[in-house]
Amino acid sequence: MTPALRIEDLHRSFGPTHIIRGIDMEVAAGERHAMIGPNGAGKSTLFHLITGRLAPDKGRVVLHGQDITGLPPYEVFRLGLARSFQVTSLFPHLSVFENLRAAAMRTAGCGHAFWRMLDGYGALRDRAEDVMLQLGLERRRDVEAGSLAYAEQRALEIGVAIAGGARTLLLDEPTAGMSRAETERAVTLIRRVSEGRTLVIIEHDLGVVFDLADRITVLAEGRVIASGPPDQVRGDPAVRTAYLGAAAEVLH
Amino acid sequence: MLAPARPAIVRLQPGATLRAALPWALAAAVAIVVPHLIAGGFGLSLLCRMGIAIVFALSFNMLLGQGGMLDFGHAVFLGLGGFLSMHALRLADGGLWLPTPLLPLAGALGGLLAAVLAGWVATRRAGTAFAMITLGVAELVVAIVLLFPSVFGGEEGLTGDRSAGPRLFGLDYGPQIQAYYVIAAWAWFAALLMWLYTRTPLGRLVNAVRDNPERVGFVGYDPARIRMLVFMLSGLFAGIAGGLAVINDEIITSQAIGPGASESVLLMTFIGGIGTFWGPVLGAVLVTFLQVALSTITDAWLLYSGLLFVAMVVWAPGGLSGIILAHAPIIRAGLGGRLVRPYAAVLPGAALALLGVVALSELAFRVQAVRNGGSPRPVFGVAVDPETALPWIVPSALFLAGAWLLHRLYPAAREAWQEASVAAQAMPNAVPAQAAP
Repeated sequence: MTPALRIEDLHRSFGPTHIIRGIDMEVAAGERHAMIGPNGAGKSTLFHLITGRLAPDKGRVVLHGQDITGLPPYEVFRLGLARSFQVTSLFPHLSVFENLRAAAMRTAGCGHAFWRMLDGYGALRDRAEDVMLQLGLERRRDVEAGSLAYAEQRALEIGVAIAGGARTLLLDEPTAGMSRAETERAVTLIRRVSEGRTLVIIEHDLGVVFDLADRITVLAEGRVIASGPPDQVRGDPAVRTAYLGAAAEVLH
Repeated sequence: MLAPARPAIVRLQPGATLRAALPWALAAAVAIVVPHLIAGGFGLSLLCRMGIAIVFALSFNMLLGQGGMLDFGHAVFLGLGGFLSMHALRLADGGLWLPTPLLPLAGALGGLLAAVLAGWVATRRAGTAFAMITLGVAELVVAIVLLFPSVFGGEEGLTGDRSAGPRLFGLDYGPQIQAYYVIAAWAWFAALLMWLYTRTPLGRLVNAVRDNPERVGFVGYDPARIRMLVFMLSGLFAGIAGGLAVINDEIITSQAIGPGASESVLLMTFIGGIGTFWGPVLGAVLVTFLQVALSTITDAWLLYSGLLFVAMVVWAPGGLSGIILAHAPIIRAGLGGRLVRPYAAVLPGAALALLGVVALSELAFRVQAVRNGGSPRPVFGVAVDPETALPWIVPSALFLAGAWLLHRLYPAAREAWQEASVAAQAMPNAVPAQAAP
């Protein structure tokens, strides 16, 4: 079966700094795949390379058998891949509802229409309302995204990523900065929306990682140092020395 | 945890369409009645200018307020639309069947074509780069216009006769009142289209592009493409304004394209407020009035419009519509009375400071008159010699006294406003600020 996402020998430097040093990995369709690794390992950069925010110096990114290397973000999205950002990236002067509606427009078939009123797209409104309910933001429907509390913005960040209903979802530290309760709520949401889809998630909270992931890839210094089911990664000595260190007791 | 029951989502509030239609019906009624309430051809031509300015400013705000695109050369679209309309008018004078009321269609085409060319370069970039490119394009177009006098009439421009073309509805559109109704009808219609556009996918996507172009890419849209389409539509509507200007003036010169006209639309739009759809309408009406009224009573009117602009940018960046929006909930909650006293306390200081500024500006312009060998006109009915000290000391003192009073009393007014808005929000029946559905 064709993997949802295949990355072949990916490289990227910034000036003299070689950040991504030859990454090969595969994510099977329908899998929940977590990426972990110490700060500076290149996880976010890898996401940028996959989603077209950055172009790789070398290597290929293949989505469901189709080469998407170097495509601009909007084309990558149209091929069924959506993402969220580690640093919240919303439309600050649009309301919660409008943020979600804008995120769902492409898949709802709005195109660039300026001859048809938005009220005419019933399915689009339903979709935005539905995601809003799932996020628990329905009471904040008409509040500008820029005025939301931090945790609400993080929830909306996930919402904007999932509203378009993409087959493959990349979430970059979706629970960063959330409280325990908020994290649980977010994980429940992520589990539900990734049902029947492919999920790649960067996450620092190892509790979340081992709870959610079918497979885990560990990145360090721009390379994959381990990849496999949680149990295998948990026991991998290279991972323990290179990454887990002090965090190792969490695993027991 | 139980999944929350899906609340009943109001599909279309009964009467929502009616409520949306009301301002448009009202605007139409005002436009029909108002020429009969004011006397004289001067008032009528002022109204015509306002109608043209409304379309122009609304088209400008499609870029600035709604799309975050600061176009320093917006008059290019009005101007080129106007020139194409003028050629159409001259063809009509020569026998082509094109009644005067349809000239703005030629304007729309001219504006659109100009925007396709300019936008192809400008909309690839956003922010400062976009603004710089539009500035360059505007310079380029002015140079080209002067380079081809056979097409654009050189310094004198082109003239036509709006009454010489074919008749439509039995009218020849020569009398100013007929021209007024053509302009008013077009302004109303163009404004309605621009408003409807804000409720379409493109009209909302451009708000997203304004807020965060990068994220727009990750929800499946090319921000540069959205900017381009909106730029074209904006050029089209500015071109309609150009066609209306040709109907009104029966002459168009390179000035219509120049930086002065581009500055003027920025001034209007900003003073009216870029944060609402209707703000630019207020700005267009007010600034047109000031430009016409002030230019008849003082030589310093450009200075005043500059001062007004700076004052708005510094103290009321939301413009007139921003001020109105900041007070609407307070007045709706019936708390407006709390503001009367603190606001009234500010007035004397503001009046004094304004008086001082005006007197100083007028004096400055008198110096010029005296140097040129003339005798200065009196300032506020007082004969003055601007080359002596006393006429400068008195207004300076007035200004300083006013500024001091403002400095003392303004914080109290501001605090009163803050308290009143908090109180208005806390009212049980407070209407939450609704973003458009």
